[in-house]
Order: sequence, then C-alpha cells, then structure tokens
Amino acid sequence: MSERAAKLIFWVGTLSSLALFLGLTWDTHRSFAALTHADKLDANVVAGKHVFENHNCNDCHTILGFGGYYAPDLTRAYKRLGEDAVRLRLASPEKAFASSYRKMPQQHLTPVEIDRLVDFLRWVGGIDNHDWPPQDSDTRWKASTRRLVGGAAMSPGAALVSQEACLACHALGNAGEHRGPRLEYVATRRDADWIARYLADPQALTPGSTMPKFDHLSEGQRQAIAEFVASLAEGRTP
Amino acid sequence: MNFKSQRVAYPYFVVALLLFALQLVMGLYLAFNYFYTVPQAVVDVFPFSTARAMHTNLLVLWLLLGFMGATYYAIPEETQSELAWPKVAWAQLVLLTGTGVAALVGFLFGWTQGRPLLEIPTTLDVLVVVGALMFLANVGVTILRARRFTATQGTLLAGLVFLAVMYLFGMPFYENLAIDWYYWWWVIHLWVEGAWELVTAALMAFMMIQLTGVDRKIVEKWLYVELGLFLFTGLAGTGHHYYWIAAPRYWLWVGGAFSALEPLPIAFMLIDTWRSMKDSKRPQPRLTWVYVIGMAVLHFVGAGLFGFAHTLPQINYYTHGSQVTVSHGHLAFFGAYALLNLSFFYFAIPRLKGFADGRYDERGGHWGFWLTSSAVVGMSLAMAVAGVLQTYLERVQGQPYIVAQSPMRFWMLIVFLHGLLVLAGALLIIKHLLTLRPAPARSGA
Repeated sequence: MSERAAKLIFWVGTLSSLALFLGLTWDTHRSFAALTHADKLDANVVAGKHVFENHNCNDCHTILGFGGYYAPDLTRAYKRLGEDAVRLRLASPEKAFASSYRKMPQQHLTPVEIDRLVDFLRWVGGIDNHDWPPQDSDTRWKASTRRLVGGAAMSPGAALVSQEACLACHALGNAGEHRGPRLEYVATRRDADWIARYLADPQALTPGSTMPKFDHLSEGQRQAIAEFVASLAEGRTP
Repeated sequence: MNFKSQRVAYPYFVVALLLFALQLVMGLYLAFNYFYTVPQAVVDVFPFSTARAMHTNLLVLWLLLGFMGATYYAIPEETQSELAWPKVAWAQLVLLTGTGVAALVGFLFGWTQGRPLLEIPTTLDVLVVVGALMFLANVGVTILRARRFTATQGTLLAGLVFLAVMYLFGMPFYENLAIDWYYWWWVIHLWVEGAWELVTAALMAFMMIQLTGVDRKIVEKWLYVELGLFLFTGLAGTGHHYYWIAAPRYWLWVGGAFSALEPLPIAFMLIDTWRSMKDSKRPQPRLTWVYVIGMAVLHFVGAGLFGFAHTLPQINYYTHGSQVTVSHGHLAFFGAYALLNLSFFYFAIPRLKGFADGRYDERGGHWGFWLTSSAVVGMSLAMAVAGVLQTYLERVQGQPYIVAQSPMRFWMLIVFLHGLLVLAGALLIIKHLLTLRPAPARSGA
C-alpha cells in the first residue's frame, strides 16, 4: 500500500463517518421533542432533574440504563412502583429497605424536593424509548395479564379486586392508576401468604405505607385476593 | 532522554501511579458493597454513589495525567527541541492534581454535578479547562517553534485537542434527560473510542519507532490506515449508546452496523504491533514487549470482543445497563488505557533516569504484570457471569431487580477476591517502576 492510499483511507473513513454522525445528530434533535413529550417537560420536571443531580442518585441507580448498576433502573420507576411507593422510598429509605440486603441513604429531602423528584420520574416514565427496559415493559405486563385475566375474570379474587376498587390506586393490565405498585410487579416480588397478611395490616409489614387496611374483609376473602394477585406472576416469562 | 525538559514527565508518572493505587482501593470498596450488607448508618454518611464517583474520577485523572506526561516525554523527541515552557508544565501538574484532590474531598461532602463520570462541579471544571489550555498551548507552541512536523505528533496533538473539545460538551446543564445523555456520550464515547484511541495510536507509533528502529515512513503509513478505521467505526459507532434514550429508531441500524466493525481497527493495531516486534532491529528488555503486546491483546479482548458481545441492539435490549456492561468496561479500560500508560512508563522511565539503551533490571516487574492482568481478566469474567445472570433473571424472566441480584452476590464476592489480587499486583508494579534500577551487567552479552 502506498502512503497516498493510506492517507486516502484516513480522510474518506473519517469524513464519511463524521458527515453521517453530524447529519443524524441534526435530525435527532428534530425528533426529541415528540419522543420525550417535551410539552410535559415543565419547570417542575427541570427542578426535579436538579434534585436528582444534587443528590448524586445516578451513581447508584441507572436511568435510561446509564449510571451506577447498584440499584434498580429508574426509567419506569414511577409506573412500576406508583407515586406513593416512590415517595415512601425517598422520604424514609431506612424504613422502606429495613429488611433489604441493600440500603439506600437517607438524604433528608424536603417535601418540595420529593414533589419535584416525583414530577421528574413521572415525566421520564412516559418517554418513548423503544420500550426499554424489558422488565418494565408495559406491553409485556399487559400481555401476560390479558392471558390470565381472560380465564380468571370470574374468579372470586378478581371479583373482590373489582369490588374493593383496588385499581383506584394500582395498575393492572390496561386499567388502573399509578399511586401504588403495579399489581403484576407485586406478584413478582411477593407470594400469596405475604399479600394476605399485608392486606390485613400494611403498616406491620411496610411501615409508612399509604395502603389502607382491608380488615373489613374476611380472612378467606383476603386470601382470595392474594391468590389472584400472586397468580399474575405466572405467564410472565415469555 | 535527549532533552532536559523531558524530565517534567516523571512527576506526572509518579502522581498518576499513586492515584491508580487509590482508584483500586475505592474499587474494592464498591465490590464489597455488592456482596456485604453495609449498615444504614454507614450508607447515610458514605454511600456507594460517593465511592463510585471517586473510583471513576480517579481513573480518568490518572489516565489523563499519564497521557500528558507521556506527551511531554514524546514531543521533545519528535520536534527535536526543548519544551516551550517546562515551568508551565509543572504548574499545570500542580493545578490539575489540586483540582482532583479538591473534587475528591468535595464528593465526600456532596459537592457534585451528579452526572456519572462527570461529577466534577462546574467551578472545578473551569480549572480543568485552564489546565488543559496550559497543556495544549505548551505542546502547540513547542511544535510551532520547532517547525518540524511529523504524522505521529500531529496525531497526538489532534487527539489531545479532540479530547479537550469534547470535554466542553459535558459541562452545561441539560433540561431534557435524553439530550443530556446524547451529549454525555460525546464526552465518554468520543473519548474512549475516538480521542483516546488517537492518543494511543500516536504513543504506540512513537514507541515502535524508538524501540524497533523500523523506518518511520512505514510506521506512519500504517498509522493513517489505523486512524481511518478507528474514526470511521468510532464516530458513527456512538449510535450504539442511542438505542434506548428516546432517539429515533435509525440509531439501532447505524449503531449496530458501525460498532460491529469496531473490533477491526483494534485487531489491526494488534497485528501491526506484533509485526513491528518481529521486525525489530534493536534488542529490548523482555518486559517492555510483555507490556506492549499484553496491552494490544487485552485492548482487543476487552474493548473489541467484550464490546462486540453486547453491541447489537437485539442483544443490547436485554444486557443494557447490567453487569455485562461493567465487565466490558473494566477489561476494556485496563487493557486499552491502563496498560498503555504502564507500557509507556516502562519505556520512558529508564530513559529519563539515563540508563544505557533504556535497559533496566526487570526482576519483580514480570510478577506485577502477570498478577494484575490475570486478576483483571478473572474479575471481568466473574462480572460477566453476574451480568449474564442479571440479563436472564431480571430482563428475560422479569424478576424484580433486588430478587435477581441475590444470586449475583456470590459472583461479586469473586470479583472482590480478584480485586485484592489486582491491588497486590498493581502495588508490585508501582514499587518496581518507582525504584527502577539499571540492568545488571551481563558477561558476554
């Protein structure tokens, strides 16, 4: 190979790749507004991002898959846990993770800081990033639930979930709210016995939880709800 | 050493080596956190996040100080002239080291910009920029005064300017998280798969010319080809970080295709280095070649192969942000940049100390290389096992994060144990380098 050819490889290789990269950068900027729902990115969300950075959250947690790998990814934390559970973890991590083998530092956040972080996580939870991460994929939660609920719609547990308006706080399949954790997520974490005890007295198992007691139900009814919720974990593995 | 001002390189090497040791201590603490439950009272005061900020910033600081010292060694040889301002080089070292220490102490008190690897607060960022400008001006003026231009020093200077310019993209506050990460990667990716590769290629070319006596024209011809391949794959290859940040879908194609080619230039560098060694006309201490070839091999395995393993979007969807990334990161940084710096130190320090033909007493040095390198490989493999577990349990099966982490803790203990060996090996290397002696006289050699 001559020196001339070597120089040609250098210039053609470098400039072609650079031109493509800068061109796509320009185009990507035109797409960010729609993909990240920039209309919902208000001053509160920006303030939340400042809080997120000031407390160095990102060196334990990943967000969009980047950061420390020491704690759960936060991209869809708002949708997975729901607002109240996020608040509990931010305000009293020493309680929320009392029995966990991994701790989160007590950062002494002010109530306003917690509000702004929740705003930030709510906004992040809604961005369109090709349905990553897979474990929090809404499509996947819904698919497994559809299969299950199809057969179990008339089960006593399902009827009680509906009667007790659990979905006024929790998400399930396509329905529900994001105050508490998604029921499918609960199913991956807890077994039926734990859920039944939790329904009787949430504070006993998770101090600081905003979940109401369901002690007006009979033990058998609580067990039926618990078994229904726990069964949501089945059919999760593709 | 042919020029007096090259001596300023030595204190850069010393500071770099001490920071390297401190980086490893912080790394051990991080690994410890993965398998041992650190109590809440300790976590509240010294959380994992603070230790991680220190670990990664120490890494960047010692590697950059090493590059700068290497540049101050190489530029006088390349230009055949003294450095323009040796005293400015000293002042720059004091400034950057001071900034680094201030940043580390600041992290302990929560003074941070809060973005991984770029945690240094803006005030200190400004000092880093001042230090970088002192450096570039010193090198640039030396080259301009000497009026002797070579492809090697051109590449070195271009790589360093590229490096400095990219740092600026990491400084502002970005309101939109997706745009934030878009430019974060202009710093991180375009450093390690762009600017730093230029610096590496230039320093390797410089060492090859000096070590082997192979004609400069031949070395520099292959340097052009190597750089063309690095930049062709590396620039558009940035796209492999844009798969899941809320960027358009075409990045899956662009990132996948270009980054799949990224092992090629590294393989090229490996073959080129091997050939240079075979063609060498000058005998060199065996350890010098152990380092240079070791660097080329682990650069290829860590950055090339481990990177390729999870760069395709179909795989990356499940491995992204898991311990698989951690495994790749550790082997790649060690293989490519830690070993490059150590190779250069072994090349330059005997010459700075004026040993005849750059020959030195190798005894003890081999242990350091083999212990450290094999322990880093073992550590990365243990991280990879943890990563594969996480990928399957959390990403494929859908287990919650903390449930999936449970079986990984054993493998993080294995990581920690390897980490102890890495630290022991590194201490051997540091001691050997800082107390290097001339080669014992051999009869009849």
